[in-house]
Formats: sequence, C-alpha cells, structure tokens
Amino acid sequence: MDHLVSSGIWARRLKWGGAPVVEEGRQPVGYVFNSGYGTGGSALHHYAVWPRFHAEDFECNTRYGRGLDWPISYDELAPYYDEVQDEVGISGDTEREIWRPPGAPYSLPPVPVFPQGEIIARGFAARDMRTAPLPLAILSQSYRGRAACIWDGWCDAGCPIGALANPLTVHLPRALAAGAVVKTDSTVTRVLTDANGSRAVGVEVALQNGERSSVMADVIVLAAFAVQNPRLLLASATDRHPDGLGNSSGMVGKYVMSHAAGLIYGLFDEETRSYMGAFGGQLLNQDNYAKETHVDTGGFGSYQWMIGQAVRPNDLLGMGTTRPELFGDDLHAFMREAARGFASMTAVVEDLPLATNVVRLSDQKDQFGVPLAHVTHTADPASHALWEAVLKQGTGIFKAAGATHVWTGPRGPMHIMGGTIMGRDPTASVTNSFGQCHDIPNLVIAGPGLFPTSAGVNPTFTVHAITARTADHLLAHWSGLQG
Amino acid sequence: MKSLTRRDFVMQSGVGVLTFCIAGCEVETTPGDARKQGAAMRVLTTSEVATLEAFGEILLPGSRDAGIANFIDHQLASPSENQLLMIKYLNVKQPYANFYRGGLAALDRAGRAESQASFNELGTSQQQVLVSRVSRDNPPGWDDGPLGPFFFFVVRNDALDVTYGTVRGFEALRIPYMAHILPPSRWGE
Repeated sequence: MDHLVSSGIWARRLKWGGAPVVEEGRQPVGYVFNSGYGTGGSALHHYAVWPRFHAEDFECNTRYGRGLDWPISYDELAPYYDEVQDEVGISGDTEREIWRPPGAPYSLPPVPVFPQGEIIARGFAARDMRTAPLPLAILSQSYRGRAACIWDGWCDAGCPIGALANPLTVHLPRALAAGAVVKTDSTVTRVLTDANGSRAVGVEVALQNGERSSVMADVIVLAAFAVQNPRLLLASATDRHPDGLGNSSGMVGKYVMSHAAGLIYGLFDEETRSYMGAFGGQLLNQDNYAKETHVDTGGFGSYQWMIGQAVRPNDLLGMGTTRPELFGDDLHAFMREAARGFASMTAVVEDLPLATNVVRLSDQKDQFGVPLAHVTHTADPASHALWEAVLKQGTGIFKAAGATHVWTGPRGPMHIMGGTIMGRDPTASVTNSFGQCHDIPNLVIAGPGLFPTSAGVNPTFTVHAITARTADHLLAHWSGLQG
Repeated sequence: MKSLTRRDFVMQSGVGVLTFCIAGCEVETTPGDARKQGAAMRVLTTSEVATLEAFGEILLPGSRDAGIANFIDHQLASPSENQLLMIKYLNVKQPYANFYRGGLAALDRAGRAESQASFNELGTSQQQVLVSRVSRDNPPGWDDGPLGPFFFFVVRNDALDVTYGTVRGFEALRIPYMAHILPPSRWGE
C-alpha cells in the first residue's frame, strides 16, 4: 500500500495490462480502462461510490416487460448490504438520501461538500431537484483502525492510507491472516474437470517463465471479472462440455452490459476548487430513478447523478481532455481558467441487457495459447435515448447553477457487467443466485458478470453483497460441494 | 512457486523511475532532463523525434522542453504491462510504436503535400494550420497510418501528461498536488 503513488500517469499501471481484448460494436465496453491488473483487480482503482440497487432493478422484466429478472429480490439481499456496509464503513446521510432502499443507517457521517458541490447543487435546487451526500466507501472518520480520508482526489491511484475500501485495505489482509495464499504472475488458462465433466477439480496455470502447473481444489471460484470469466469458461471446453464449461444453455458470454457515462462540464466565475474531494464525487441525485421517466423521448432505464468529481489537469477524465478540440495557446488558456472554475458531474445510465452483446473467443491467441476475448457491445436504442435525454437535463442543471459555459462529453463506457448471468432457469442463465454454475455446482462465478441487469447505480456494493451471500451459502453447504 | 505480494510487483516494476541512456550510461532522470542531456532514443528515429517534438510544441507549447519525445520513446521501449501512455486506454493494437510511427509519417507526408516540406520544416503558422486540419480530418497526403483526428487526440494528451500531469504542472495551474506519496520521478521536469 505504501508503494502506491499519487500520480494519474502512474495509476495507469493499475489498469488492465494482460492479454489484449478485441472490442467491436457501436459502444465498446472500454475494457482496459474499466478493468484492473494485479492483486486487487479493478476494485483497486475504483472510485468507491456505493449506492444500493433499487427493488425494481431486480424485477425489471416482471414490472416493465423489458430486460431480465434476477433470481433474488432486494429484500433477500438487504441483510448482506447491511453486513458489508458495517464491515467496510460507508460514509453517507441516511435521512437526506431519500431514494435509498430500506437498510441499516450508514456507518459513518457523510463526506464533506466543497465549493464545486455547493455550486452545482444550486442548479438542482433551482429545478426543484434534491441532492444528498454521495454514499462512498471512503472513511469520513477513522474506522476500525483505518485512517480517515483527506479528500485529496487521488482515489484511482490506489489509496495508500486505506481510507478507501479497496480489496487490499479491507478483505485481503483478513484473507491472508486466515491462511490464504496469493499467487501473482500466474495466469489461469483452463478450468479442469473430472472424467465425466460433472465436477471442477482444479485450474491449469501458466507461469511467467512459460512453465505450466495446476492447482487442485474442492471448490473453484472464478473472479476474473466480467470478460475474462466467460473467456475462461469458453476456453475450457471438453468433450463433455463442447461449447465451454457451464454453457449447456448457450448463455456464457451473453448479456454483456456497460453503463453509459453522462458527462456534464462547466466553467463558473467562482472558484470551484474542483481538485478537492473524492474522484467519485460529493453529492447524489436519484430523483429520476424511475425507469419510465424519459419514455417520451424513447428512453428507458434508471440513472443517477454523481455530482462534483475531483479532477486533475490531465488523463482521460482530466480537465484538459474535456475540450479535445483545443490546442496551442488556447489550450493553455483553458487550463488556467479551468483550474479556477471547472466543475463536472456524471450520470450513471442503465444499459439494458441484450443477448447480442457478447463475449466470444477470438481467432487470435495470447502468449499461452488461449484464445483472446472478443467483446461486442452496441447499446439498446432505448438505453442510448435515455443517455441523450440525461445529457439535456444535466446541461440545464449546470445553466441553472450559473455556469458561464456548459459542454458535454462523449458516451463513455463505465463498469462492465453480465456475460455469466445468474437466473432461476438453467436454460436461460449460467448460474444460480449463488453464482454456482447450473451445470457444475462446485464451479462458482463471482463478480459483476453475474448481474442480469445493470441498474442505474455503481455496481461494486452489489458485487460485495451478492458475494457475501454466496460465501454464507458455500460455508453452509461445504460438505455437499466436496467430491 | 514464490508468491509475490503487490508491493513486490510494484517495486520490481520500477514505479515512475524512468531510465534513460545518456552518454552511454543508464541514468534515472526526468524526460525533460533527459532531453537536455541528449539522451539516446531507443525506438524513435532522429527524424521521427524532430516531427514529434514539433507536433507537440504546436499542440501544447512547452511540451518539447518537458520531454514529450523522450517520454513517449521511453514508454515505447517498455514492457506492455508497464505502459504509462494514455493510448493503452484506447483499444489500439500493440506495439504502439507502429501507431506513433504511422502518425508521424502521415504528418510529414501532409506537410509535403501542402508545402513540399516535412512537418518540422514548416513555419509555425503553417504548422498550426495543418494541425488544425488534422484535428478535424485527414488532410491531403495523410493517406496511411492512424486517423488524423485520433492521432491528434492521443499526442495532445501525451503533451498534457508531460506538461501538466506533474508536480510542476500542478503548481503552474496553482492546483495543490496533495500527494500521499510523491512520484519519485516528476515527469516533465
């Protein structure tokens, strides 16, 4: 942790650096930016915005006839949200966050609001829209031996003081203390099964020196994120599973989703101090979370506003990149102006699940001979229309806040979900609600790849909640999972 | 099998310390200092460096002295898993040297098509006009390599990195850097 470095340039080392992923479609998922490389994975550089999914997110098909249903309800998952919240410490304001589904009060006081947040909040108020502190898995006070955040905006470079609940801070130390062994620079190339294909028995591993070895286990949990998990299942095909492990349904790789980022930028006459705070933002608005809010424009789905992100001058989400047409002295002038009065907010816009958005195996192979992942993603027209409607709303809010100049960013991909969806029907999903493959119950999938819908909020809290539920289940049924 | 911790991994990957070859010796320094001291390039040719520095100077004045060519060349010579160039986010097929070489050659061809001179031989105002065109579309002569606007976007961000993505760059904008852990190499100084 103390060798993480506060630098946006250095932070790129935390992004995906493994085998290339071939991307196509109108809205690619942005695999390198959205995934991670090294111990801790993508959660090491995540922004720790941890709202809960809403009840309707779990019943999208039943309620609206669109998208898919989860095999669990919000009420079933709520205790696990509470458990994880207590474990990691979430800063928020239970009372002011009026849209929040039922659950235990936040563990910690809300995050502070800096001038950028106060200024943008004026625009929401002018439009009779509400704001509340953004729920962040970042400590507003010291908590269980971890230090409080100093709101310096280096969240995506890893958090060396442990204020942000990334895996190296909270769970990995406990796992190591319990006897877990982490083997880095070891790439799993195949899941191994027994002779009749009914059980997973281990994994084949390629080492950096080219040697192969295997690790055998009673239970195999694949936690390689939403694209590499289906790649591994497909690449592990056998005579018994000719289309890939866990794929008798043909669903492995299908329903890949990625939130559309609705990016609003503005310049204000006042000093915004936009370098202060957390990378994820300061305030939240979910006034229009109802999925049919924008049906008049052809849009469908949920979204939320994350308000007042801490920004830096450079990098993909930096101030300089928001005006890509500027160069020369004009760019220098903009940078000076933005350093004083820049502000931004980002909408997390739901992406409807489509069976045509898939991970499949490429004809190209990596250095270990494993076919690369080939990801196709083109948003449902209703999801794209929702994103367009959201941008209009955001632009109006910034104008109402008094921005002297307002502009928007391109449709950026944010988070990756789906590809190994959970469900009740073994012919229409890959796993049950605990992530166990329908075909091979001791082969367990973990992570956002299990999501049948993407909702309009950040996924990491829900990843933790379903993982905690799975852990309980596996422990309770451990003897039955052993061969 | 020896287990590596993340700390081991990060330590061994040489966080942020850029090593340049200066007068036959390996020296850890910044891209700007490496340029001042005439560090040898490992991937780019002399001609490519001249075009890249001229392009960078039009995109963001000061990026030449901040060592944009040294920074990019250093990264192009680095293992793919340690890449620090922003291009890694943009779904460009490796090796990235092909992308930069293709774009720089196209820029020179566009210069010759316009004024019978390679890009770095053009006058400043001619360079500005050409860069403005590249920012919008492929100009005449740009008949190969990456799309002009995309090449513009990538190198412009490299220029922002070496100029403003540094402790000194933050100071120039009066933004407090507020590092938990300062980069051991202050890119661009």
